Amino acid sequence: MTASRWRLWAPWLAMVVVLSVALAVGASRPGPPLSPTQRAAAIDAQLRCPSCEDVSVADSSAPTAVAVRAIVLQRVRAGERQAQIEDFLVSRYGPGILLRPPTRGATSTVWIVPVVVVVLALGGLGVFFWRRRRRAAAPVGIEDRSLVDHALAERAAGAQS
Amino acid sequence: MKARWIALAVLVVAAGLIAVLATRPPAAATEVNTPLLGHQAPQVSGSTLTGGAFTLSALRGRWAVVNFFASWCQPCQQEEADLVAFAYQHRGAQDAALVGVVYDDSTSSARSFLSSSGATWPAVADPGGTLAVDFGVRAPPETFLVSPAGVVTAHLDGPVTASQLDYWLARGTEAMP
Repeated sequence: MTASRWRLWAPWLAMVVVLSVALAVGASRPGPPLSPTQRAAAIDAQLRCPSCEDVSVADSSAPTAVAVRAIVLQRVRAGERQAQIEDFLVSRYGPGILLRPPTRGATSTVWIVPVVVVVLALGGLGVFFWRRRRRAAAPVGIEDRSLVDHALAERAAGAQS
Repeated sequence: MKARWIALAVLVVAAGLIAVLATRPPAAATEVNTPLLGHQAPQVSGSTLTGGAFTLSALRGRWAVVNFFASWCQPCQQEEADLVAFAYQHRGAQDAALVGVVYDDSTSSARSFLSSSGATWPAVADPGGTLAVDFGVRAPPETFLVSPAGVVTAHLDGPVTASQLDYWLARGTEAMP
């Protein structure tokens, strides 16, 4: 890469690095500690109401949703982690109780496949542009050059007459 | 004249529809999957509607039919006569016992519901729905068949019949080691 090209890309590259670092720091910085009620509410929002159609436990007033909310809060207060609470509910209602597919086991493909597709698509796009640039940078053949020269000469003659 | 024929046709169709709906057999329970199948049944313990104490483990050695019900639930009303018949048929053999678990209902309503239908089995109150969540219950009526060893062998969703219970009991007995 030439120095002039570096000068063109350097600010963009710096901006990407700064943004990535800021995002990483912002995402990993622990927020203020949540109360048991707030933690339970966050878990409730990720559970499907057992007797409803695609409504979270947090958003439903069905008796089962109310009962699940009480159990979640009770277990959070007992010091259980989210994964433990989810495991208990899955052992009762099956994996359908989770609104988000689990990130482990066979269902992990739901998370892996989109990432693989995006990586492959970006790779394909990169290869496409790289090959196009290489084709564009290829030396012009004698035949093409003579065609262009001929056309330019015709244009110049036309302008003079 | 034409309008009269149309009215007659509508009347015939409506009468046919009413006849079909009135004479069709009531919806029966279906066996549904549960993660509890093949596992020890969750502990059922608490005070009964009559003020006594109950634990499911006290029924070890007999089949236990755990029935989640509510007085406001129409399918629960539909199955009650069959549950009474089942309890009566197995009273002598002492091979199976029924236990009710109240689902989102007041104690007084549940008690009068059971007494009016002639139910004599214990029914456990479940304030807060802890037992319902332990069994993964979604909506009543739901019935669980628990083997003499305390293992869940069937989960039935909807109003059960006495013959259905007998069938699942026989199937469970055959499958026992």
